[in-house]
Amino acid sequence: MKSVYKVVLAVLAVAGFFFAVQPAVAHHSGAEFMDQVKEITGTIKEFQFKNPHTWIQVVVENPKGEKEEWSVEWGAPNSLARQGYRPSTFPAGAKVVMRIHPMRSGAPAGGFVAAKFPDGKTVGKWE
Amino acid sequence: MIANKTQRCLALGAGLLLVAVLSYGQKPALPEFNKLPDWSGVWQMMGGTVFDRATQTGQGGSTTHGVRIHPPYNAEWEAIYQKNLALRDQDRLPDVITNCGVPVGFPRIMNLPDVYEFVIRPEEFWILTENGPNVMRVYTDGRAVLAPEERWGTYTGDSAGHWEGDTLVFQTVALKGSRDGDSILDRTGAVLSDAAQATTRMRRINDTTIESQMVIEDAKAFTKPWTVTKQFRRLPTGTRVYDYGCAENNRNPVDAATGRTLTLGPDGKPLEDREKD
Repeated sequence: MKSVYKVVLAVLAVAGFFFAVQPAVAHHSGAEFMDQVKEITGTIKEFQFKNPHTWIQVVVENPKGEKEEWSVEWGAPNSLARQGYRPSTFPAGAKVVMRIHPMRSGAPAGGFVAAKFPDGKTVGKWE
Repeated sequence: MIANKTQRCLALGAGLLLVAVLSYGQKPALPEFNKLPDWSGVWQMMGGTVFDRATQTGQGGSTTHGVRIHPPYNAEWEAIYQKNLALRDQDRLPDVITNCGVPVGFPRIMNLPDVYEFVIRPEEFWILTENGPNVMRVYTDGRAVLAPEERWGTYTGDSAGHWEGDTLVFQTVALKGSRDGDSILDRTGAVLSDAAQATTRMRRINDTTIESQMVIEDAKAFTKPWTVTKQFRRLPTGTRVYDYGCAENNRNPVDAATGRTLTLGPDGKPLEDREKD
Protein backbone atom coordinates (compact mmCIF):
# COMPACT_ATOMS: atom_id res chain seq x y z
CA MET A 1 0.00 0.00 0.00
CA LYS A 2 2.87 2.29 0.93
CA SER A 3 4.58 1.64 -2.42
CA VAL A 4 1.33 2.35 -4.30
CA TYR A 5 1.13 5.65 -2.41
CA LYS A 6 4.72 6.45 -3.44
CA VAL A 7 3.95 5.65 -7.09
CA VAL A 8 0.86 7.89 -7.00
CA LEU A 9 2.91 10.68 -5.44
CA ALA A 10 5.62 10.28 -8.09
CA VAL A 11 3.07 10.37 -10.90
CA LEU A 12 1.45 13.49 -9.43
CA ALA A 13 4.85 15.12 -9.02
CA VAL A 14 5.77 14.45 -12.65
CA ALA A 15 2.35 15.63 -13.86
CA GLY A 16 2.61 18.69 -11.65
CA PHE A 17 6.00 19.53 -13.09
CA PHE A 18 4.78 19.40 -16.64
CA PHE A 19 1.73 21.50 -15.84
CA ALA A 20 3.90 23.94 -13.93
CA VAL A 21 6.24 24.51 -16.87
CA GLN A 22 3.32 25.62 -19.05
CA PRO A 23 4.27 29.11 -20.16
CA ALA A 24 2.02 31.78 -18.71
CA VAL A 25 1.78 33.58 -22.03
CA ALA A 26 1.95 30.93 -24.76
CA HIS A 27 0.03 33.08 -27.18
CA HIS A 28 2.46 36.03 -27.18
CA SER A 29 5.91 36.78 -25.88
CA GLY A 30 5.26 38.45 -22.54
CA ALA A 31 8.06 40.93 -23.25
CA GLU A 32 5.72 43.78 -22.26
CA PHE A 33 5.97 42.81 -18.60
CA MET A 34 8.81 43.69 -16.23
CA ASP A 35 10.59 41.09 -14.10
CA GLN A 36 9.92 42.97 -10.87
CA VAL A 37 6.85 42.18 -8.79
CA LYS A 38 4.29 44.80 -7.80
CA GLU A 39 1.46 44.37 -5.31
CA ILE A 40 -2.00 45.84 -5.92
CA THR A 41 -5.03 45.70 -3.63
CA GLY A 42 -8.56 45.99 -4.88
CA THR A 43 -11.84 44.36 -5.78
CA ILE A 44 -12.39 41.82 -8.54
CA LYS A 45 -14.57 43.31 -11.25
CA GLU A 46 -14.47 40.45 -13.73
CA PHE A 47 -12.52 37.28 -14.47
CA GLN A 48 -12.41 36.87 -18.25
CA PHE A 49 -11.96 33.09 -18.48
CA LYS A 50 -11.54 33.14 -22.24
CA ASN A 51 -9.00 32.26 -24.91
CA PRO A 52 -6.29 32.88 -25.74
CA HIS A 53 -5.49 34.21 -22.24
CA THR A 54 -7.44 34.89 -19.12
CA TRP A 55 -7.67 38.44 -17.74
CA ILE A 56 -8.55 39.48 -14.23
CA GLN A 57 -10.03 42.96 -14.02
CA VAL A 58 -9.34 44.51 -10.64
CA VAL A 59 -10.59 47.89 -9.42
CA VAL A 60 -7.86 49.55 -7.38
CA GLU A 61 -7.91 52.83 -5.48
CA ASN A 62 -4.92 54.88 -6.59
CA PRO A 63 -2.93 57.27 -4.33
CA LYS A 64 -5.24 60.11 -5.34
CA GLY A 65 -8.23 58.19 -4.02
CA GLU A 66 -9.53 57.57 -7.52
CA LYS A 67 -10.76 54.19 -8.69
CA GLU A 68 -8.61 52.72 -11.42
CA GLU A 69 -9.21 49.47 -13.33
CA TRP A 70 -6.20 47.17 -13.67
CA SER A 71 -5.95 44.39 -16.24
CA VAL A 72 -4.02 41.36 -15.04
CA GLU A 73 -3.16 38.74 -17.63
CA TRP A 74 -2.90 35.09 -16.66
CA GLY A 75 -2.51 31.81 -18.52
CA ALA A 76 -4.71 30.22 -21.15
CA PRO A 77 -8.01 29.05 -19.67
CA ASN A 78 -7.41 25.55 -20.97
CA SER A 79 -4.10 25.00 -19.18
CA LEU A 80 -5.47 26.70 -16.07
CA ALA A 81 -8.52 24.41 -16.19
CA ARG A 82 -6.21 21.39 -16.31
CA GLN A 83 -4.64 22.71 -13.11
CA GLY A 84 -8.05 22.94 -11.45
CA TYR A 85 -8.85 26.64 -11.90
CA ARG A 86 -12.29 27.75 -13.02
CA PRO A 87 -14.14 31.02 -13.76
CA SER A 88 -15.16 30.96 -10.08
CA THR A 89 -11.52 31.21 -8.97
CA PHE A 90 -11.84 35.01 -8.98
CA PRO A 91 -15.46 35.86 -8.14
CA ALA A 92 -16.67 39.37 -8.94
CA GLY A 93 -16.86 41.54 -5.84
CA ALA A 94 -14.15 39.68 -3.90
CA LYS A 95 -11.43 41.71 -2.21
CA VAL A 96 -7.96 40.61 -3.26
CA VAL A 97 -4.28 41.43 -2.95
CA MET A 98 -2.54 40.61 -6.19
CA ARG A 99 1.11 40.32 -7.11
CA ILE A 100 1.88 41.09 -10.72
CA HIS A 101 4.71 41.75 -13.15
CA PRO A 102 3.80 45.34 -14.10
CA MET A 103 3.87 46.58 -17.67
CA ARG A 104 6.98 48.38 -18.83
CA SER A 105 4.86 51.25 -20.14
CA GLY A 106 3.46 52.01 -16.69
CA ALA A 107 -0.07 51.26 -17.85
CA PRO A 108 -2.43 49.81 -15.22
CA ALA A 109 -1.84 46.21 -16.24
CA GLY A 110 0.50 43.32 -15.59
CA GLY A 111 1.17 39.63 -15.71
CA PHE A 112 -0.30 37.53 -12.91
CA VAL A 113 2.01 36.10 -10.25
CA ALA A 114 -0.22 35.31 -7.27
CA ALA A 115 -3.25 36.46 -5.32
CA LYS A 116 -4.40 36.33 -1.71
CA PHE A 117 -7.97 36.64 -0.47
CA PRO A 118 -8.97 38.05 2.95
CA ASP A 119 -9.56 34.51 4.28
CA GLY A 120 -5.93 33.65 3.58
CA LYS A 121 -6.64 31.52 0.52
CA THR A 122 -3.97 32.01 -2.12
CA VAL A 123 -3.79 31.42 -5.86
CA GLY A 124 -0.48 31.04 -7.70
CA LYS A 125 2.98 31.26 -6.17
CA TRP A 126 2.31 33.55 -3.20
CA GLU A 127 5.25 32.40 -1.06
CA MET B 1 -0.15 -32.16 -77.29
CA ILE B 2 0.24 -28.83 -79.11
CA ALA B 3 -3.42 -28.10 -78.52
CA ASN B 4 -2.95 -28.74 -74.78
CA LYS B 5 0.06 -26.37 -74.70
CA THR B 6 -1.93 -23.69 -76.50
CA GLN B 7 -4.83 -24.13 -74.12
CA ARG B 8 -2.50 -23.82 -71.12
CA CYS B 9 -0.93 -20.65 -72.58
CA LEU B 10 -4.35 -19.16 -73.24
CA ALA B 11 -5.50 -20.00 -69.72
CA LEU B 12 -2.37 -18.46 -68.21
CA GLY B 13 -2.77 -15.35 -70.33
CA ALA B 14 -6.43 -15.03 -69.36
CA GLY B 15 -5.50 -15.45 -65.72
CA LEU B 16 -2.87 -12.73 -65.90
CA LEU B 17 -5.31 -10.46 -67.70
CA LEU B 18 -7.93 -11.09 -65.03
CA VAL B 19 -5.44 -10.25 -62.24
CA ALA B 20 -4.39 -7.07 -64.08
CA VAL B 21 -8.01 -5.99 -64.55
CA LEU B 22 -8.94 -6.68 -60.92
CA SER B 23 -5.90 -4.90 -59.49
CA TYR B 24 -6.24 -1.83 -61.74
CA GLY B 25 -6.89 1.18 -59.52
CA GLN B 26 -6.53 -0.84 -56.33
CA LYS B 27 -4.56 0.75 -53.48
CA PRO B 28 -1.86 -1.21 -51.67
CA ALA B 29 -3.11 -3.14 -48.66
CA LEU B 30 -3.46 -0.92 -45.60
CA PRO B 31 -2.02 -1.99 -42.27
CA GLU B 32 -4.60 -3.54 -39.98
CA PHE B 33 -5.91 -1.03 -37.44
CA ASN B 34 -5.31 -3.33 -34.47
CA LYS B 35 -1.68 -3.78 -35.49
CA LEU B 36 -0.95 -0.06 -35.47
CA PRO B 37 0.62 1.49 -32.36
CA ASP B 38 -1.51 3.07 -29.65
CA TRP B 39 -0.76 6.80 -29.35
CA SER B 40 -4.09 7.62 -27.73
CA GLY B 41 -4.33 10.06 -24.88
CA VAL B 42 -3.22 13.65 -24.44
CA TRP B 43 0.38 14.69 -24.94
CA GLN B 44 2.48 17.72 -24.19
CA MET B 45 5.68 18.86 -25.85
CA MET B 46 8.63 18.60 -23.51
CA GLY B 47 10.86 21.60 -22.97
CA GLY B 48 10.27 25.17 -24.03
CA THR B 49 9.43 26.47 -27.48
CA VAL B 50 12.99 27.06 -28.68
CA PHE B 51 12.69 24.96 -31.84
CA ASP B 52 16.03 23.14 -31.68
CA ARG B 53 17.25 22.95 -28.11
CA ALA B 54 20.16 20.76 -29.22
CA THR B 55 21.77 23.72 -30.98
CA GLN B 56 20.52 26.46 -28.63
CA THR B 57 23.07 28.93 -27.36
CA GLY B 58 22.26 31.44 -24.66
CA GLN B 59 20.23 30.82 -21.54
CA GLY B 60 16.48 31.27 -21.40
CA GLY B 61 13.48 31.01 -23.68
CA SER B 62 12.89 31.98 -27.28
CA THR B 63 12.22 35.63 -26.43
CA THR B 64 15.25 36.00 -24.15
CA HIS B 65 17.94 38.26 -25.55
CA GLY B 66 21.00 36.25 -26.54
CA VAL B 67 19.13 33.00 -27.12
CA ARG B 68 19.37 31.56 -30.61
CA ILE B 69 19.50 28.27 -32.43
CA HIS B 70 21.87 27.20 -35.19
CA PRO B 71 20.17 25.88 -38.30
CA PRO B 72 22.79 25.13 -40.99
CA TYR B 73 22.05 28.40 -42.77
CA ASN B 74 24.07 29.68 -45.68
CA ALA B 75 25.33 33.26 -45.40
CA GLU B 76 22.23 34.79 -46.98
CA TRP B 77 19.78 33.08 -44.60
CA GLU B 78 22.01 33.54 -41.57
CA ALA B 79 21.75 37.27 -42.32
CA ILE B 80 17.95 36.97 -42.45
CA TYR B 81 17.99 35.19 -39.09
CA GLN B 82 20.31 37.82 -37.62
CA LYS B 83 17.86 40.49 -38.69
CA ASN B 84 15.00 38.63 -37.01
CA LEU B 85 17.08 38.15 -33.85
CA ALA B 86 17.69 41.90 -33.73
CA LEU B 87 13.94 42.56 -34.09
CA ARG B 88 13.28 39.98 -31.37
CA ASP B 89 15.68 41.84 -29.07
CA GLN B 90 13.66 45.03 -29.69
CA ASP B 91 10.41 43.14 -28.98
CA ARG B 92 9.38 43.87 -32.55
CA LEU B 93 9.43 40.45 -34.14
CA PRO B 94 5.78 39.79 -34.87
CA ASP B 95 4.50 36.29 -34.31
CA VAL B 96 1.55 35.95 -36.63
CA ILE B 97 -0.18 33.41 -34.40
CA THR B 98 -0.60 36.24 -31.91
CA ASN B 99 -3.17 37.67 -34.30
CA CYS B 100 -5.10 34.37 -34.28
CA GLY B 101 -6.34 32.52 -37.32
CA VAL B 102 -3.01 31.81 -39.04
CA PRO B 103 -1.83 28.19 -38.89
CA VAL B 104 1.58 27.62 -37.34
CA GLY B 105 2.41 25.26 -40.17
CA PHE B 106 5.00 22.50 -40.33
CA PRO B 107 7.48 21.99 -38.70
CA ARG B 108 6.44 24.50 -36.02
CA ILE B 109 3.39 22.35 -35.34
CA MET B 110 5.83 20.09 -33.47
CA ASN B 111 6.84 23.06 -31.29
CA LEU B 112 3.69 24.24 -29.55
CA PRO B 113 2.69 24.77 -25.95
CA ASP B 114 -0.60 23.42 -24.60
CA VAL B 115 -1.49 19.86 -25.58
CA TYR B 116 -1.55 17.45 -28.50
CA GLU B 117 -3.54 14.46 -29.74
CA PHE B 118 -2.13 12.01 -32.28
CA VAL B 119 -4.81 10.14 -34.19
CA ILE B 120 -3.89 7.00 -36.08
CA ARG B 121 -6.02 5.31 -38.71
CA PRO B 122 -4.72 2.84 -41.28
CA GLU B 123 -5.21 5.34 -44.10
CA GLU B 124 -4.26 8.58 -42.38
CA PHE B 125 -2.53 10.14 -39.39
CA TRP B 126 -3.54 13.44 -37.80
CA ILE B 127 -1.76 15.78 -35.43
CA LEU B 128 -4.29 17.87 -33.51
CA THR B 129 -3.02 20.72 -31.37
CA GLU B 130 -5.13 22.51 -28.80
CA ASN B 131 -3.15 25.71 -29.37
CA GLY B 132 -4.37 27.37 -32.53
CA PRO B 133 -6.05 24.96 -33.00
CA ASN B 134 -3.97 23.35 -35.73
CA VAL B 135 -4.39 20.20 -37.79
CA MET B 136 -1.78 18.34 -39.79
CA ARG B 137 -2.71 15.44 -42.06
CA VAL B 138 -0.36 12.69 -43.13
CA TYR B 139 -1.67 10.25 -45.70
CA THR B 140 -0.64 6.65 -45.05
CA ASP B 141 -2.86 4.99 -47.65
CA GLY B 142 -0.07 4.36 -50.11
CA ARG B 143 -0.25 7.61 -52.03
CA ALA B 144 2.88 9.63 -52.66
CA VAL B 145 3.35 13.30 -51.85
CA LEU B 146 2.20 15.70 -54.54
CA ALA B 147 4.34 15.68 -57.67
CA PRO B 148 6.50 18.82 -58.08
CA GLU B 149 4.30 20.20 -60.85
CA GLU B 150 1.20 19.85 -58.63
CA ARG B 151 2.55 21.66 -55.59
CA TRP B 152 1.97 25.12 -54.23
CA GLY B 153 3.34 26.32 -50.94
CA THR B 154 1.11 26.15 -47.88
CA TYR B 155 1.69 26.46 -44.13
CA THR B 156 1.51 22.74 -43.38
CA GLY B 157 2.42 21.46 -46.83
CA ASP B 158 1.58 18.03 -48.17
CA SER B 159 2.58 14.90 -46.27
CA ALA B 160 2.50 11.21 -47.05
CA GLY B 161 4.15 8.27 -45.38
CA HIS B 162 4.01 4.73 -44.16
CA TRP B 163 4.56 2.59 -41.09
CA GLU B 164 7.85 0.80 -40.52
CA GLY B 165 6.81 -1.37 -37.60
CA ASP B 166 5.89 1.06 -34.84
CA THR B 167 7.58 4.01 -36.54
CA LEU B 168 5.64 6.41 -38.74
CA VAL B 169 7.85 7.71 -41.53
CA PHE B 170 6.56 10.56 -43.64
CA GLN B 171 7.73 13.13 -46.11
CA THR B 172 6.50 16.72 -46.15
CA VAL B 173 6.72 18.95 -49.21
CA ALA B 174 4.97 22.03 -50.64
CA LEU B 175 5.75 24.30 -47.69
CA LYS B 176 5.54 28.07 -48.09
CA GLY B 177 8.14 28.71 -45.40
CA SER B 178 8.75 32.38 -44.67
CA ARG B 179 7.98 33.46 -48.24
CA ASP B 180 5.04 35.62 -47.19
CA GLY B 181 6.51 36.71 -43.87
CA ASP B 182 3.91 34.83 -41.86
CA SER B 183 5.64 31.65 -40.76
CA ILE B 184 8.42 31.19 -38.23
CA LEU B 185 9.81 28.18 -36.40
CA ASP B 186 9.99 29.85 -33.01
CA ARG B 187 10.10 33.29 -31.46
CA THR B 188 13.85 33.60 -31.88
CA GLY B 189 12.90 34.29 -35.49
CA ALA B 190 14.29 31.15 -37.14
CA VAL B 191 12.68 30.58 -40.54
CA LEU B 192 12.71 28.23 -43.53
CA SER B 193 12.45 29.05 -47.22
CA ASP B 194 9.74 27.83 -49.58
CA ALA B 195 12.18 25.15 -50.78
CA ALA B 196 12.14 23.37 -47.43
CA GLN B 197 11.00 19.78 -47.14
CA ALA B 198 11.41 17.17 -44.47
CA THR B 199 11.42 13.52 -43.63
CA THR B 200 9.96 12.79 -40.21
CA ARG B 201 10.18 9.64 -38.13
CA MET B 202 7.76 9.42 -35.21
CA ARG B 203 7.62 6.62 -32.68
CA ARG B 204 6.65 5.93 -29.12
CA ILE B 205 9.99 5.36 -27.43
CA ASN B 206 8.47 4.29 -24.12
CA ASP B 207 5.12 4.20 -22.37
CA THR B 208 5.03 7.95 -21.75
CA THR B 209 7.07 9.45 -24.58
CA ILE B 210 6.60 9.97 -28.31
CA GLU B 211 9.61 11.18 -30.24
CA SER B 212 9.52 13.03 -33.54
CA GLN B 213 12.77 13.30 -35.45
CA MET B 214 12.70 15.64 -38.43
CA VAL B 215 15.41 15.80 -41.06
CA ILE B 216 14.80 19.15 -42.72
CA GLU B 217 16.35 20.02 -46.06
CA ASP B 218 16.24 23.48 -47.56
CA ALA B 219 17.97 23.96 -50.90
CA LYS B 220 17.73 27.75 -50.65
CA ALA B 221 18.61 28.32 -47.00
CA PHE B 222 20.77 25.43 -45.76
CA THR B 223 24.26 24.13 -46.43
CA LYS B 224 23.30 20.65 -45.20
CA PRO B 225 20.27 18.81 -43.76
CA TRP B 226 19.18 19.78 -40.27
CA THR B 227 18.01 17.14 -37.80
CA VAL B 228 15.66 18.33 -35.05
CA THR B 229 14.13 16.08 -32.42
CA LYS B 230 11.06 16.93 -30.36
CA GLN B 231 9.54 14.79 -27.62
CA PHE B 232 6.03 14.65 -26.22
CA ARG B 233 5.09 13.45 -22.74
CA ARG B 234 1.83 11.61 -22.13
CA LEU B 235 -0.36 13.40 -19.61
CA PRO B 236 -2.40 11.51 -17.02
CA THR B 237 -5.30 9.43 -18.32
CA GLY B 238 -8.48 11.47 -18.29
CA THR B 239 -6.76 14.77 -19.15
CA ARG B 240 -9.09 16.91 -21.24
CA VAL B 241 -8.39 18.97 -24.34
CA TYR B 242 -10.50 22.11 -24.44
CA ASP B 243 -11.86 24.46 -27.05
CA TYR B 244 -9.35 27.10 -28.15
CA GLY B 245 -11.07 29.99 -29.85
CA CYS B 246 -7.99 32.17 -30.23
CA ALA B 247 -9.95 35.22 -31.37
CA GLU B 248 -12.48 34.94 -28.53
CA ASN B 249 -10.81 37.59 -26.38
CA ASN B 250 -7.47 38.40 -28.00
CA ARG B 251 -6.19 41.41 -26.11
CA ASN B 252 -2.70 41.03 -27.60
CA PRO B 253 -2.89 41.69 -31.33
CA VAL B 254 0.24 42.58 -33.31
CA ASP B 255 0.52 46.15 -34.55
CA ALA B 256 1.31 45.60 -38.22
CA ALA B 257 3.02 48.99 -38.53
CA THR B 258 5.59 48.41 -35.77
CA GLY B 259 5.62 44.67 -35.21
CA ARG B 260 4.88 45.31 -31.56
CA THR B 261 2.55 43.03 -29.64
CA LEU B 262 -0.08 45.32 -28.16
CA THR B 263 -1.91 44.92 -24.90
CA LEU B 264 -5.50 46.09 -25.07
CA GLY B 265 -7.39 47.45 -22.11
CA PRO B 266 -10.94 46.42 -21.27
CA ASP B 267 -12.15 49.17 -23.62
CA GLY B 268 -10.27 47.60 -26.54
CA LYS B 269 -7.70 50.40 -26.78
CA PRO B 270 -3.94 49.76 -26.46
CA LEU B 271 -2.61 50.20 -22.94
CA GLU B 272 1.01 50.68 -24.00
CA ASP B 273 0.80 54.36 -24.73
CA ARG B 274 -1.01 55.33 -21.55
CA GLU B 275 1.34 56.84 -19.03
CA LYS B 276 0.47 56.00 -15.47
CA ASP B 277 -0.05 59.00 -13.20
